[in-house]
Amino acid sequence: MRRFVKDNALSLFFLVTFLIALAGQSVAGTADANDRRLADGGATISWSQYVTSSDFAVDVAENWQSEYLQFLLFILATVWLVQRGSPESKKPGEEGGESDAEQRTGRHATPGSPEWARATGLRQTLYGNSLGLVMGTIFVLSWLAQSVAGTASYNEQQLSQLQDPVSWGGYVMSPDFWDRTLQNWQSELLAVLSMVVLSVYLRQRGSPESKPVGAPHGETAAEG
Amino acid sequence: MRVRAVLVVSVLAVALSGCASEERSPAEQAVTRFYAAVHDRDGSRACSLLTPEAADGLSVGGQSCAKTVLELDLPGGQVREAAVWGDEAQVRLTRDTVFLHRFPRGWLVRGAGCRPRGDLPYRCEVRS
Repeated sequence: MRRFVKDNALSLFFLVTFLIALAGQSVAGTADANDRRLADGGATISWSQYVTSSDFAVDVAENWQSEYLQFLLFILATVWLVQRGSPESKKPGEEGGESDAEQRTGRHATPGSPEWARATGLRQTLYGNSLGLVMGTIFVLSWLAQSVAGTASYNEQQLSQLQDPVSWGGYVMSPDFWDRTLQNWQSELLAVLSMVVLSVYLRQRGSPESKPVGAPHGETAAEG
Repeated sequence: MRVRAVLVVSVLAVALSGCASEERSPAEQAVTRFYAAVHDRDGSRACSLLTPEAADGLSVGGQSCAKTVLELDLPGGQVREAAVWGDEAQVRLTRDTVFLHRFPRGWLVRGAGCRPRGDLPYRCEVRS
């Protein structure tokens, strides 16, 4: 058990903090929703009613989609684009999908290589892009969920303000949908930009996300 | 609208399926009861079917809600369609549009005698 925790400490840390943050969001969200409902002359709702509401769903989904988009873009952009000096980047000249030998696929697979890396054709192509495919699928589903839950949440708000509800198509063309979407995208893109550029010049001793403290600024793809 | 889970896929599936149909009847019935009370000239019963804020809004100048509600231009008509989103509903009648809110004791009217104003909120004779 202790060995399992130690070997998976990074995943467990983020899992626990994720659950704590989600629980905190649900409590704060319930209070905020009830403030608004009372102000609109409506009835309050319980925590369990709030966490199964479209209000909570859209707030969760809009953040999830942007996070998965951030990592999807980071995964794909770093295949083809480099940043000299960044530990997040490959070295200049290494852009692209690389050879089978470099990727240890097909006949270049090693004894410990995953089975599908050893395979050829569709299986290798699928496995060779599986990280991007899964992150991209979760992004699309989250964004779709945001649009559906957002339609419900938006229409509830519209009706409470004595205005007509809209269709799903009408909602995804609405300022509310794009405001929710783009305010998340811009922050995620800025965070990636900051990480790529700041890691050229700044260090975090011991972190694999940073170059070694003594590494030159111009050294690319070095991890400390 | 009640979405059954917070997981994205579940949110999607349930959000798509939970949009309104099963709860139309109670909201429509509440509107029917409200207009039946107005038609019967029973102001007290009509006011008991309004949200507290809407009822308070009709108690003006020392006149009771029960009296004011019968003096308003509430055209009513046959129920044509209803839309329910979460705890809010809109019921369209042949000559009126009514807005409702769901309380623990059921649907109550928060807006009646409503006229559309383009992108602006409806202008309602009764409103909370």
